[in-house]
Parts: sequence; structure tokens; C-alpha cells
Amino acid sequence: MSAAEPLLRVEDLRVEFPSEDGIVHAVDGITYQVQKGRTLGIVGESGSGKTVSSLTTLGLTRREGARISGRILFEGQDLVTLPEEQLRAIRGNDIAMIFQDPLSSLHPLYRVGAQLVEAVRAHREVSKAQARARAIELLGLVGIPDPARRVDEYPHEFSGGMRQRAMIAMALMNDPKLLIADEPTTALDVTVQAQILALMERLQRELGMAIVIITHDLGVVAEVADDIAVMYAGRIVETSSTGQLFAAPEHPYTWGLLKSIPRLDGPREEELVPIPGTPPSLINRPSGCHFHPRCPYAQPDHARIDPLLAPVPGAPNHHVACLLEAEVRERLWAELAAGATPEQALAEVGVPGAPA
Amino acid sequence: MIRYIIRRLLWGVLLLIIVAGLVFVLFRVLPTTNPAVLRAGRDPQPKLIKEIEVVLGLNKSLPTQFWDYLKEVFLHFNLGYSYYSQESVRSLIVERLPATLSLTLGAAVLWVLGGLSVGIISALRRHSLLDRGAMGSALVLISVPEFWLGLVLLFLFASDIGKFKIFPGAGSYVPLTTDPWKWFTSLIMPWFVLAAGSAAIFARLMRSSLSEAMKEDYIRTARAKGLPEKAVVRQGVRAAINPIVTLFGLEVGVLLGGAILVETVFNIPGVGRLAYQSIQSSDFPVVQGTVLLASMFIILANIVVDVAYAYLDPRVRYS
Amino acid sequence: MRSTRVMLFAVVGVLTALVLAACGSSSESGSSSSATGNGASVVTPAGYQSSVDESLSGKRGGTLEVLQEADFEHLDPGVTYFALDYTVVFATQRPLYSNEPNSNEPIPDIAAGKPEVSADNKTITVHLKEGIHFSPPVNREVVAQDVAYAIERGANPNVANPYIQTYFSSIEGMPKAEGGPIKGIETPNKHEIVFHLTEPKGFFVAEALCLPLTAAVPKEYAEKFDKSKPSAYTNYQVATGPYMLKNNAEGKVLGIGYVPGKSATLVRNPNWNAKTDFRPAYLNEIKIHLGGTQAVIDRQVLEGKSVVQNEPVVQSAVKLAAEHYKSQLDLSPGAGNRYITLNNKVPPFNNLDLRKAVYAAVDRAALDRERGGTLVTNVATHFIYPTIPGFEQSGGLAGPKVDYNEHPEGNMAVAEKYMKLAGYPSGKYTGTKTVQVVGASSAPEKEDAEIVNQTLKNLGFNTKLTLVEISTMYAKYCDAPKEEIEVCPTVGWIADFADPQTVLKPTFDGNSIVSTGNVNQGQVNIPKINEAMAAAELIKGKEEREKAWGKIDEELIENAVAIPYDWEKSPRLAASNVHGVAMLWNEGSWDYSFTSLK
Repeated sequence: MSAAEPLLRVEDLRVEFPSEDGIVHAVDGITYQVQKGRTLGIVGESGSGKTVSSLTTLGLTRREGARISGRILFEGQDLVTLPEEQLRAIRGNDIAMIFQDPLSSLHPLYRVGAQLVEAVRAHREVSKAQARARAIELLGLVGIPDPARRVDEYPHEFSGGMRQRAMIAMALMNDPKLLIADEPTTALDVTVQAQILALMERLQRELGMAIVIITHDLGVVAEVADDIAVMYAGRIVETSSTGQLFAAPEHPYTWGLLKSIPRLDGPREEELVPIPGTPPSLINRPSGCHFHPRCPYAQPDHARIDPLLAPVPGAPNHHVACLLEAEVRERLWAELAAGATPEQALAEVGVPGAPA
Repeated sequence: MIRYIIRRLLWGVLLLIIVAGLVFVLFRVLPTTNPAVLRAGRDPQPKLIKEIEVVLGLNKSLPTQFWDYLKEVFLHFNLGYSYYSQESVRSLIVERLPATLSLTLGAAVLWVLGGLSVGIISALRRHSLLDRGAMGSALVLISVPEFWLGLVLLFLFASDIGKFKIFPGAGSYVPLTTDPWKWFTSLIMPWFVLAAGSAAIFARLMRSSLSEAMKEDYIRTARAKGLPEKAVVRQGVRAAINPIVTLFGLEVGVLLGGAILVETVFNIPGVGRLAYQSIQSSDFPVVQGTVLLASMFIILANIVVDVAYAYLDPRVRYS
Repeated sequence: MRSTRVMLFAVVGVLTALVLAACGSSSESGSSSSATGNGASVVTPAGYQSSVDESLSGKRGGTLEVLQEADFEHLDPGVTYFALDYTVVFATQRPLYSNEPNSNEPIPDIAAGKPEVSADNKTITVHLKEGIHFSPPVNREVVAQDVAYAIERGANPNVANPYIQTYFSSIEGMPKAEGGPIKGIETPNKHEIVFHLTEPKGFFVAEALCLPLTAAVPKEYAEKFDKSKPSAYTNYQVATGPYMLKNNAEGKVLGIGYVPGKSATLVRNPNWNAKTDFRPAYLNEIKIHLGGTQAVIDRQVLEGKSVVQNEPVVQSAVKLAAEHYKSQLDLSPGAGNRYITLNNKVPPFNNLDLRKAVYAAVDRAALDRERGGTLVTNVATHFIYPTIPGFEQSGGLAGPKVDYNEHPEGNMAVAEKYMKLAGYPSGKYTGTKTVQVVGASSAPEKEDAEIVNQTLKNLGFNTKLTLVEISTMYAKYCDAPKEEIEVCPTVGWIADFADPQTVLKPTFDGNSIVSTGNVNQGQVNIPKINEAMAAAELIKGKEEREKAWGKIDEELIENAVAIPYDWEKSPRLAASNVHGVAMLWNEGSWDYSFTSLK
């Protein structure tokens, strides 16, 4: 990652929710950065804490009795401790967020234009006519045909893809510096998905806006992200630039993700290898390395020691939180990339300390 | 939309005819007192009963009576004449309508304002002391019989018989045009009694409806847009209010046919009391007239509510 | 709750009875009609309080407000027959004969003197007073033809007077009359009317001349209204009494003096001549407000000023008034009786011993407690009730001395004795017949019906209890012989007037049974008693009648034809500044012609 001052810096963020069954550790000490004008992709399964960390950025978890610690630095201010009124001034203004399901995320009973107008008039003193004009402008910008007519329609009169475009337009009404997109394409079908992603790329180029895109889909981040952070059970397990991640992934979880995606250029007979098991409960998490119960290469003491994010030798902008030695990892990945299954790779490489 | 409304109105007329027929059958065929017998005194000779039946038109065959009645009502708007006072039913009803309208519409305002505001506050402060207190009171008000509540209020606050002489007592209703202030003060307690149960139901409904609405995704979006919380709540209320509008319209429709209990306790000369008195004395023409009126209001209320719903929820469209 | 409706059927009787006895006995007693004369013996049970203030004097002037829950049924003098309607009709209409409030001795009203009955009992001659005028817009003097027309219009189907055939069918030409002139009613001159009868019942018919049917009606004014179906005269009626229903210049009352469901207003009749009338008419105006609910009305009257109510008072208010507002409560005796009818015709109660068993078992005091307790009830021990002649002769308060009559709280031992005599050695009924019990669904009739139902069950009967609205109870079940209802627990009766015949004959004479509206609900038909009644009917002379009918009452109890349980007193309330005078002969209702403000 570039050495310039990041737009958003998250430092050791922890978010806990008290619940009837115990404390939910949704976010367990994560640290990442977003650079101006660049796209960060946050990848993980559901329950990895990826959405919660973004909602917390905007202070949208405060209402639910969350216990938040750590820092979220944005333009010199710590959003964790910022008073509500000031945080509200940032929401929808400097930092905007769009969500997964645009049909339910837009109010069904107000016209689309009205919702856009509301977004800008909440933060700026503009007349209704000016706001409306801007809404039409942005609807056009995101590629909605005939925006002057569609601005008066209701959400249910838009198609799925257009709705998402409208949500994006709404997020852009105040020229945000950072756009957080939480699973923006998950609810759309594939062709529309591609269009939306292309749109987002274009907007970033034209507006110079930073984007955080949250998804479980590696294909999506491969498309649009400049940098990627992989989350598991509330922690970040690996961060790197996109190219580096796909070329030389370091974390066994990342390997598992990559191996479970079908590849057009992979051998025909190669089987997909899913990661065994299910994501852990965020109330009773595994001790030590959270991934160890599902890791094919785990060692006994991995259940005791917490791995920390550390740079990969030779790649200072690539960090991983794993207790395996770098060299072992390199060899394991070499096997896996050649088509071996995790068992075969393990057998081939041998891990120090592992039973023979 | 216009075509839809016209179609509904036409069906409404057909429904009124069916209702008229049902009332006809109910009161003539089912075992209640034959008005001719009532009229004929304690030792009615058959000859006398027959004579009275002829005079009242009860001797003709049922279908003939019904057909005559329908013709009069739908062609001439003539609802017949009371067996007792010979006053035209239409003028009896028209005379009493303002009182019922005053009572119903005033109560409606009260229960909308009261019910909604309590419901909204309760929804936003769920499980607080305020919420529990409000919902508990609501339960009490829904359960309490109207008649009893009216009596209790009179015995507590009526200026003639109450412990604390604040509001005018039973029988003090005057038309709006006669004395606006007296009209208003005499209706305060009746409005409260009539509104109490409905307001409580509305409050509970609004509470659950709004609680649900506030969990919706678009509320999250609204907050993410940086809207002040008041605006966010307003969006929630806007979504939560639709089922309540339906209920409101129907309730008003029903009550426009006469709030019998409240009108009786507070002695308000409305349509409800007229209906009750006429049923007691088997005054068929008046009974039929009041039932038709009540049915008409309910039918209209249904149509209005359905049309309003189309405006309130743009996703609803009538072909 | 005593709905006036119930009383109606009975009250017709009362009024008729009152009229008949009142009018009829006048030729015997010879006493002058003094303001306080009351020929009947008034029994004063404990706690009884007569008129709030016995005197009939008062201050002139003022407006009386009346709060009245029920609307009027019929205010046309040719149709009216309900106690509540009478409160207005007898203030505005003057029949040939009428009553003073504290009395049931009739006195001449439009008549100048007593009726003259011919020796052969077939002709009645009545002379009319002079100087009595109709109210505006008719204005002219009342003449004999007006009384004739008043009676003739009763036969017009558009008017359909309910009692005309019962009492006046012996007038020549009456049975076929349809509203036109009747042969047997003759008016030789302006102030004389003569009735010619086809049967020797002149005495009886003369008594009936106290009925409101004889209140004068001007033919040339009324006949156009009598043409509509039904007659519209009631909405344009004129008055002869001290008060009239307010009207306009054309005589229209509807919407002015009487607004249905809302109000009635009585104003002074400007053409009324006080010298021709025994009524003082102190009040200037009477404003009746219709609607509301009795519980509230009673309280409003107790705490208000210049206001009365004129319907049965709710129990809680009677108690309240008796404790804290004694001077505002009037409890009139002689408001009728209540009894449980037993079907004498069909099993099981065609068996005398079974009837006696039930009679013994019923807790009459409990039934009365449901009706308000000793303030407004007395435990009845026979059918003739206080204020009706013959009361003492049939045993007074204690009643005939038979064992099943001597335990007001009921006595199962005596009941069992009769069950055994009836052929049920276990003391409980073991037959298969299901006893239908039909009562009224409103309180306290409902509670009384349930107590009776339970008593029957305790005796081993299978019962089917039906509770319906009160007029349905009568019209559909109890008054319909073909329904053969075994038990009607909440039947009531008020005498037509203070002659015992009107308490006992319509209700227990086998010849009175009719197919609809049958008030001999028990279908009592004992030949010996029927004959005794026929004979007693013809007796002339008050004391002889008392003796004869008292004996019949005893025989009815000895045959346990029905089970009397309540002699009712009628409560009425007045505000503290009202000097109310109650009509003893009309269920204790306030008499507007005698009431005044203090």
C-alpha cells in the first residue's frame, strides 16, 4: 500500500454486543487503511464481522448497545468517540454507504427523486429545485436512462439493477470522499452485477472517491479492488494488493477460498475443495488462532497462541496473521497451486512439529 | 381509478338492496313481536290485529312489501313513515345525523391524535416505564365497557351529578349552530368514552407497526444518509401508518351508523339511539332506515379506505 | 327493571279497572268527591312512605322539567293505553269521568254529574258541563257530538282503539262499526249523550266511561286526519284539559309540542276554564326531555332543581333516596302484583299436589330481594293486592292459611309432603316431562327466573330455561296457549281499576282464554270458580263484591293456580323544590295537573 496518509485508518477496532447467550465478539481487533481514490475490498463469510466494522465506521452500531473500542481515524477525527451530531454530519456526506438489497433499502412509499433530494438537503442549504436538478444529474451519471422522468417514480417501478444505480446516485449526492458498499451486487444477477461494478470503477475514476467494497465473492474483488483484506471470525487474517493476493496468497483460509472457486483456466478434472466445517460462533470462539479447527495444517500450539498480522518477508505491503513459517507456507501453496489437495500438500511438505 | 370507484359504488348499491332484504326478512319472519300485535293491546282480538295489519301494510305478501319498499327507497328516496309518530323516516334520520356526526368525527380526531402519538412514543421507547404504562392503560381502556366508562365519568365529572363538577351532564347536548361552546363542552366526555377503546387499539397497533417498520432496511439507509432522527422516525411512521388508515376508515364508517351506547348514556339524540328505540318498539320502517344508513356508511367507508390505500401505497394498483 | 312495555299490557287493565270501578261505584258510595277521599283501605307495610307531601295544595307558576328515558307510544286519546302516555294524556284530555290523584273514586270531568243508568240496565244517560272549550285552533265549546265522535273513531281501523270491543261492544251497532256514526250513541242535544245497549250491562259500561276514549274530539277538525293510514290526528290533536301539547297556528303538534325521541312540551291551554275543572294546574309549563338512561336520570333528579322523572326508578337510586333524599322519594302502593304461572292444563302441573309442592318450595322473599327488597315489594300471599277492595277479605297481609302459603322463604319439608302426595315417594319428581321455563332477559326478571328454575331443579324436575326480551316473552311464549309453556316466572298484572274483578277475572277465568295475547297464561279453568266469577260479576254493591271476590281469591290460592310473590310499590323521584303529587290510580306517576314548585 502506498505510503501516503490514508483517508481512513481503522486501528485495533473491537465491537462487542451483549446478548442473551453471551457477548458476541463481532469485531475482534482489526486494523486496516483506505487510501484516497483507491478501492479496498473486504472479503469474508457471513459472520466474519465485515459488515459490522463498516457500520461501526458510520456509528450505526451505537444504538444497539454495542461496546466499541479502538480508533477509526477519518480526516484527523476519531469516529469512535465523535459526538453523535458531528458524526451525523459526516454520514451521507463525507462518507456514504450503500447496501445489499436496493428494493428493501429504498423507502417504498417515497419517490426516488424525493429520497435523493432528502439526502442532499440533510447536509446542504439548497433549494428543492436545485436539489432536484442534482438528483436528475446524478441519476443520469449512474446510467439511468431518461432521468428527468424516472426521478418521479417509485422504487418498485425500477428494475433491480436500476435500483442499485439509484442507491449509488443517492450516496453520491453529497460528493462523498469515501463510499462504503456492503454486498452491492449480491442481490443482482450476473450481467447486472458486471454493469454495477463497471459503474463503480468509472465513478471512482471520474470522482476520485475511495471505495470500500464488502463482499464474500472473490470474483467481485478481483474485478474492482486495488487492495484486499480477508476477514475471518472477526479478525483480519490477510491484507495485500489484489494482484499479490491472487498470485501469492499466504493464509490457509485464503487458500481455501481460492481453491473453492471454479477457474476457467484450471484443469478440467480438478475438484473443488471446500473448506471443511462451519464458521465459528462469535460468542464462543476457538482459542488461539480462530481458524485452527478448520485449518488442515494446524499444529497443537496453534490453539494457544494468537497470531498477529505480520508482514510477509519480501513483500512489505502484504501482511498475514498465521503461525506457520513463511517458508512452509510458500511450499504448501506451491503444491496447492499445482493441483494438490490440502491432504496431499500436507503430506508432501510436512510441517515441523506435525505428527509424521 | 375512476372506473374502479364507479364499479365499487354500483356493487355497493346492490349490497344495500341485499341488506334491505335481509332486514326485511329478519324482522318479519323471525320470531319477534308483530307490531300489529303490539299495537292491538292486551287482549287483541284477531279482527283488530287484522285491521291494524292492513293499515300498516303488513297484510300484503312479503315480496310485494319488499318490492314496494325498494321502489320507494331507490326511486323516491322515501324511507317510509314511523308506525308510531307517522313522521317520515328520512326526516327522523336526517334530523339526528348531525349529532352522530359531531360525536363520531370529534371522537375520531381524538383517537387518531391520542392513539398515534402514544403508539409512536411507545414504539420508540420500547420497554421503558412510559411504554409499559401506556400499553397497560391501553389494555384497560380496551377492556372497559363503554357504558360503564360513561357512567363512571358522569358520576365523577358531570356538573349536575358528579363529584367534581366540571363537564356538562347527560342530556346537555345542543347543536353546533345553537351554541358552539355548549356543543363543544357537552361532547368532551362522550368523545373521550367513544375514543378511549379505539385510541387504545390504535396505540397498540401503531406501536407494533412502527416497531416493525423501524427495523426495516430503508430505516438503516435513512440513518446512513445522515438524516436527523426525527426525519428517520417520520419515514418509519409513514410506512407504519398504512394498516392503521384502513382500520380507522372502517371504524369511522361503523360509528357513523350510530354509537348506541354512548348516545344513550349521555342522552345525545343521534342515529344510534333512534335505531335502538325503534328496534325496541318494532317500528320497522325506522329500523330499516337506520340499518340502511349504517350499511351505506360502511360501504362508503370501505370504498374510501380502498381508494385511499391506493394513494398511500403506490405499489397497490387497481385495474 | 320494569319496562313500561311490560306494564302496558297489564296497565291497560289497571286503567280500565280503575275507570270501571271508579266510574261504576260512584252511584253507590254517595260520598262527595273530596280532594283527599280514598275509598280503598291502604295497607302500610313497614318502610312504606306514601306521597311526599299529602296535601294537594301548591304555588302557582314555574316550569317543570321531566327527564324521561322511554319515548311515548301513543298520545292519541283514542289509542293511548300506557301508564307513561297517560301522564301527558290526562293533563291534556278530559274524558267523561276521571280521577283525582289520591283516589280511585271517579268524579265527573266533562260530565256534569253521575251517569244515569236505566232500571233495565240498557240505557245510560250522561249530562255534560257547559263552558268547556277546545284549545286553539278549534276554540269552540265542547258538545255531546264531540264525545260521540271520540268513541266512534275508536272503531275506525286507522285508529284501532285496543279496548273498545272489550268494554263497549254492547252498545248498539258497535260490533260492526268502522268509524262511522253508531246507532246506539245518541246526542239529543248539545249537552246530553245517551248510550243504548243491546244487553243489560249499563252498570259495567258506565264505569268504562272513565277511559280516555271518551275524551272529546272535534269531528270537523279531526276527520281529515283520521283518513290517513294510520290516523294522523295525534300529530294535530287539540286539548280540553288545563294543558295542551304546544302547536302552531294550524294545530300541528309534531315537531313542535312533540318531537319524537327528543321532547314533549305542555303549555297552558288558553281556553281552559278552571271553574269547570277539579284540577288546580299550578305549573305554567311542563318540558319533557326524552332519552338517556335511568341510572343517570335518577341521580340528575335527586340533585337537580325543578325536575322530576316519571318512570320506575332503578334499584340503586331507590336505596340512595330512601337513605339520603327521603322527602324526594314517593313509593306508591298498589302498583300491581307478580306471580309465577303454572300451566294448569298440561302435565306435570295439571296435578294439584305438584303445584302445591312448587308453591311451598319457592323462596318468595328471595324473589322480592332481587326486585329491590322491602322498599318496593311485599311478599304476596294471594292475588288481590293492597289498595284494591277485597284485600282484607282474602286474608290481608298473611293471606289464606294453608301450609304451603305460610313460609315466604320456602319450605322443602312441606314441598316434599306434597311431592309424596303427588305420587313421588322420594320427594323428587321422577317423571320424564321437561318443564319449559320462560322468563325475561333483563334484570331483575332474569334473576327471578333463575331462582325459580333452580327451585324446580331442586324438586327433581328437568327444566329448559329460556330468557328473552320481555315483550317477546309475552307475545311469543307466555301469552300463546299453543306453546304450552309450563312455567312463566315473571308475569305481572295491574288491576284495571280498584275493583277486584279486574285483578282476578281476565287472569284466572277459564272463559278468558284466547288464542293470542292470552293473559290467563296458566290456562286456569276450574268450573266452580268460573261460575263463582260469573255470579260475582253481577253483584251490585261494594261490600258484597269485596266479600264475593275475596272468597274467590282464597279459592284460587287453595287451588294453587299460580304462585303470587310480590305486591309492588312504585317509586318515583322529584327534585327537592318540587311538590310532587302522585296518581295512585296510575302506577304512582306524577300528576302534572296537581304538581307544583315549592
